Amino acid sequence: MGFSPAPLGAGDGVKSNEGPVAQGQSGRLITGWFQVRILAGPPTPPPMTTLESRIEAYLRAKLPAASEIVVANLQRIPGGASRETWSFDVTRRENGAAVKEGLIIRRDPDASVLETDRDHEFRVVQAVYGAVPVPRTYWIETDGAALDRPFFVMGRIDGCEANPTRVLMDPRYFPSRERIACEFTDILARIHAIDPASSGLEFLDGPADAGGCGLAEVEKWEAVIDHDSLEPQPVLRGAFRWLRHHLPPPAQRIALVHADYRTGNFLAAPDGEIKGILDWEMAHLGDPMEDVAWACIRPWRWLGNELIGGLMERSEFYRMYEKFSGLKVDEDAVRFWELLGNIKLAAIFITGARSFTDGRTRSPLMAFLGRNVNRLELEIMDLLEAGV
Amino acid sequence: MKPDGITSLRGIQAALADALVPELSSAYAQDAAQTLTMLIESLVAGWDTAAEDLVSGNREVRRLLAEAVAVFSLPAAGNEPAAALVKLCEDAIAVPPVASLRISELTAESESLRAALEKVLVALEDIAAGSADVPAMALRWSIYAHLRGAAGAGWSFWDVASFRERMVRLKSEHKR
Repeated sequence: MGFSPAPLGAGDGVKSNEGPVAQGQSGRLITGWFQVRILAGPPTPPPMTTLESRIEAYLRAKLPAASEIVVANLQRIPGGASRETWSFDVTRRENGAAVKEGLIIRRDPDASVLETDRDHEFRVVQAVYGAVPVPRTYWIETDGAALDRPFFVMGRIDGCEANPTRVLMDPRYFPSRERIACEFTDILARIHAIDPASSGLEFLDGPADAGGCGLAEVEKWEAVIDHDSLEPQPVLRGAFRWLRHHLPPPAQRIALVHADYRTGNFLAAPDGEIKGILDWEMAHLGDPMEDVAWACIRPWRWLGNELIGGLMERSEFYRMYEKFSGLKVDEDAVRFWELLGNIKLAAIFITGARSFTDGRTRSPLMAFLGRNVNRLELEIMDLLEAGV
Repeated sequence: MKPDGITSLRGIQAALADALVPELSSAYAQDAAQTLTMLIESLVAGWDTAAEDLVSGNREVRRLLAEAVAVFSLPAAGNEPAAALVKLCEDAIAVPPVASLRISELTAESESLRAALEKVLVALEDIAAGSADVPAMALRWSIYAHLRGAAGAGWSFWDVASFRERMVRLKSEHKR
């Protein structure tokens, strides 16, 4: 006699006549001969082979001159809590020649840690292509006709790592850490040197003037907490108040701010070359010090010590940034932005937790992130205690 | 004795590691399994002490709100917003502690008390920005000390990564 697993929660098990099948959208998971109550959520995704053939059909429509289009090695890439990332190889025949390339699809998730517009990210990456290393963009679909949800397609950059554990702990990367640190800082300065007006970035949100950068971001993230918080947030509310009383000096320049520039969001080759900057969905116009500070916050100091991004001493980061950008690192402003950065990350986690609790996603990552806000609160209080 | 909650959760972690992860071929699935393992670890960390933590936390917040009543009733803080805050705190602590040890009921009590604490802290940040009101600042740091204890409790994946040295310092602070 076969053994079927018992229900996970006492009293939740209900004998089923359905037999040993599994389904995922009704609030009940039938496992073996029992029904186990599960969180309500979005429909279970279709099998991978279905997605592969739908991508092929999509590419046939996009590449009418090509024939023999085959999609292979479709894989979902871990991470990317704000948008699903799928990698695949596509082979085709074009003008008589065989073509093979790696592509990436960034598809809207069922729910996310961030409610962002994929059109926004696509246009920013398109605008900065050539000025800083980013993947080449191809197509964007703003409805779900082709793949159920909106998505965009871009080129894949091979031979690189984004995962901080590998970039910082894989011995292949040890000799190149200094180069990575240098390129990381140089590219940040180049992002801040991009002229939004002449680069087609005027559609981005931004403050009315250089003096309004800090308040604009405080208001933006406090609104996220207002909207998504599931419980009182004394630490975050107290810190928001502190920030409102200690706004930074006007930005030296209103620049393109990546807003998620950190170790974990670049693709580095083992020789230390950074070949791609990722995750532009929060990009906006603002104070360059916001990016400098975000790169510095403790959560990105992956080695558990004080090295910025696990890469370099803070003083070295500041020195190189000043050299490459021509801007002065205003330490008072950085402290303001560093405090706000930790609050912003807490807000992002809270949004994910809200999605999970509301049943818009079953991703355990969202639940997990929501349970880690307390360490960010600890950091926020450390910064407050230090007078920030 | 039957396997208790923690033992069962540890069993799930072991099953994930021994039976499931080796069978997972995609990096995405392996990453999801790792997330589950860490989610379970965070549940394990608070399992045994959940009720006790909430009871003692609620007791401490009541004490802080009572202190806030005293601080905001002082003549120096005597104004309309201070009076409203005093009333808010008095109302919050007038509700008797829940007699039950159910986590859901203790959590509801905690949220009600922390909602009042949130308002107090915001008011204290306003005071901190404008003056050096000694009793108010003492209360501010008492509140942060309490919140710091809660923020450092339990297990987080940060503890083995970015917050590793910070958590070592926190543990040595607790020992002192």
